[in-house]
Amino acid sequence: MEFAQLYDRVELDSKAVGPMDLSPLPGVWLNSNPQTNGIARMVMSEAAGRLSLQVSAIGPDGLIDWGVAEVQAYGSTPTARAGAGFSCRFDFGFAESFLQGMIMKGLLVLAEIRTFKDESNRADYFVREYFALEHQRY
Amino acid sequence: MENLEFNQIRDLDRALIDSDGQSLNADRLTGDWLNTDRNTRGLREITIERTGERFSVSARGAGTDGSIDWLAKSVTVLANLEEEAGQRSIALAADFDFGFMRAETYLRVNKGVLVIVLFNTFKDQSGRTDYVTREFFYRPD
Repeated sequence: MEFAQLYDRVELDSKAVGPMDLSPLPGVWLNSNPQTNGIARMVMSEAAGRLSLQVSAIGPDGLIDWGVAEVQAYGSTPTARAGAGFSCRFDFGFAESFLQGMIMKGLLVLAEIRTFKDESNRADYFVREYFALEHQRY
Repeated sequence: MENLEFNQIRDLDRALIDSDGQSLNADRLTGDWLNTDRNTRGLREITIERTGERFSVSARGAGTDGSIDWLAKSVTVLANLEEEAGQRSIALAADFDFGFMRAETYLRVNKGVLVIVLFNTFKDQSGRTDYVTREFFYRPD
């Protein structure tokens, strides 16, 4: 088994190998900052063992729908069977967003890497925000 | 500015439009960094270097008989909109490819600590789960 760091070097229990439990990830994730000028709301959905993400961001006249992107799920270790993070890409032509999220203590910490592909000469940027899962229990 | 395309208000942040790259503060990011966990099973050291507008990121991963060299195949320089003490700084996105595994990472400094988050994807058929890790580094000097 090849490895680039000792974390990668694991013994796999063949009985435990199977599809990842994605249940920690689906749902409606809301930005904890009501004053955000970026992503406000994300809806993660699961169908047939695959995840997708629909994103809504703050625009001048309300939310702007980014549409839906396919999601890659990650565990917390090479032997983990539960989803603990994800990544996905949105390509808008003039710009691209690479989203990388990880769940920590129930919060989703989302990093957005935004690169511009137009001729606007804007700086590519990085921002990190917190999202809470809407649970409607209280 | 009114002609700029956007799909979130943040795209119109004046700091992005006025940025010339050189003005972004990279001093807090460049140099040698050691993992705060001396027994880490992940990355032991990270070195970030700047040559003009370009950055390189290298690291030493914990191995069985010493360290394993990591060298980012691509590094993207990003204006970090998480301002610290009102200062503009930069973050980096760095991608590493070992053939059997790809690591897509981002690095930033928070209160003097370098934080790297790694999204590791296995490309072999080993059955390992793709995984995310986060590690913290300090300056040895």
